[in-house]
Amino acid sequence: MPKRFANIAFMTPGIAWLAVFFLVPMIALATYSFWSVSNYQIVPGFSLHNYRKAVGDPIFLDLTIRTIRIAVITTVLSMIIAYPVAYYLARKVRRNRLTLLMLVIMPLWTSYLVRTFAWALILGRNGIINQGLQAAGMTDAPVEWLLYSEFAVTLALVHIYMPFMVLPIYAVLEKFDGRLLEAARDMGASRWRAFLTITLPLSLPGIVAGSIFVFVPALGAYVTPELLGGTGGMMLGNVIAQQFGGTFEYPFGSALTVLMVAVVAVLVSVGLRHSSLGRS
Amino acid sequence: MERRDASRLLLGLWFWTVIFFLFAPLLVVILFSFNTSQISVLPLRGFTFGWYAKLFSNAQIGEALLNSLFVAAFTVAISIVLGVTLAIGLSRHHGRLSNALLGFAAAPMILPRLILGVSLLTFIDALGLRLSLGTVMIGHSLIGIPYVVLIVNARLASFDHRLEEAARDLGAGFFTVIRTITLPIIKPAILAAALISFTLSFDDVVVAFFTTGVENTLPMLLWGLLRHGITPEVNALASVTLLVSGITAVAAELMLRLSTRTPR
Repeated sequence: MPKRFANIAFMTPGIAWLAVFFLVPMIALATYSFWSVSNYQIVPGFSLHNYRKAVGDPIFLDLTIRTIRIAVITTVLSMIIAYPVAYYLARKVRRNRLTLLMLVIMPLWTSYLVRTFAWALILGRNGIINQGLQAAGMTDAPVEWLLYSEFAVTLALVHIYMPFMVLPIYAVLEKFDGRLLEAARDMGASRWRAFLTITLPLSLPGIVAGSIFVFVPALGAYVTPELLGGTGGMMLGNVIAQQFGGTFEYPFGSALTVLMVAVVAVLVSVGLRHSSLGRS
Repeated sequence: MERRDASRLLLGLWFWTVIFFLFAPLLVVILFSFNTSQISVLPLRGFTFGWYAKLFSNAQIGEALLNSLFVAAFTVAISIVLGVTLAIGLSRHHGRLSNALLGFAAAPMILPRLILGVSLLTFIDALGLRLSLGTVMIGHSLIGIPYVVLIVNARLASFDHRLEEAARDLGAGFFTVIRTITLPIIKPAILAAALISFTLSFDDVVVAFFTTGVENTLPMLLWGLLRHGITPEVNALASVTLLVSGITAVAAELMLRLSTRTPR
């Protein structure tokens, strides 16, 4: 059998499957976003009504701003937490490096539903933190804003997605040539200056890749705000889910989803060019 | 040298603090699952296996567990067959097209699960199909395939393709080369990918939420129970799923390490 033909034969089933169950559904979603609903029936047609509602209604504007704020803060906090972890593993650890790296990654393979609701046990009215604060005499009444708030959602999202930030930064720092630093130090640069002018800029591609891995799932979070957000921590994902669940407003839900996909697509295509992913 | 040791010590301290942050919430869940009290608050009352016993006598949970295993098994089968063939095809084809196809195969991994779920639901609705465990499997295959393709592709990129050429020069046909050279070399990577797609399917609640019909998977059942508050049974059920994914993850990691040690 000609080699080229055999290769195409190998690729076809997988690509066809993804085309049918991933690409076509996306197209279906985009199509629905122009349709409308009347008398609980979905009516085909072409109308920008859903998009006008998504962009124009102040309720959704507020929600979008809050969603982006939560995703940005989650990404920045993950960066601050993950960078020293990746740096330690890549530059300071000699033995059992892979085992230690695995400790960071392992939570990613456990249920995010469990990782989410665990925070309800910790942050709740009678949760561990409130009991601790009261036992220590620091407050008389439970601190209410810990749970069912933007704070709880952000904290849990950092906990859930932060390991995604460690991996690409680690990968970049591990390949990094230590002689560059030695050269800088020999020429009289202080440790901080060498770090700020050499190590940090060179690790940017890893930071960008990690930021995409954290920002995108945080932007589309659904389980976490549903369980920990209450009304104050509600995100776009919850509203999208409502359109497809209880309220049966598929077209409006589709429009919101299309807008989210557009944001993700722009971020990923810009990010790819500046990240460690684009080069591999 | 002293400053260097100090920075190493500080970074090490930071590292273990972060590990504590990652694992402590999970330990809290496990801790409360052994607590005799009905409510999950401190102080702990006493130690019991009672909630686990209650769990195993609950028919609903048994059924959901079987559903989850059924879905995960098919998800692994679909993801491995389609993902491994795709990765093999991609690895022999170099250029813009294969890069674009690799990006396409990885795309479902980057999108939030919510988007995978609602788009599949819209598609199923447009076709007028019924939601079932079968549609959950299709949804989960979108989660599994990208991981399989990326893991296997990475392994294929690092091995010496002259081994295959040598076999071909000696007269082996295309499928003989795949069967006797390629597959044995990438086997640990395939096993690791299988374990990872298993645990991704077994733990997923978002895609299942939008694509399941009347049947519950285990995470869906847990999701439903959580709506009524966190009971000790919920903690016990969560601990069981943690154990399952923990074991699967460690096994997958060991396989991946094995795969980088086999001949290149």
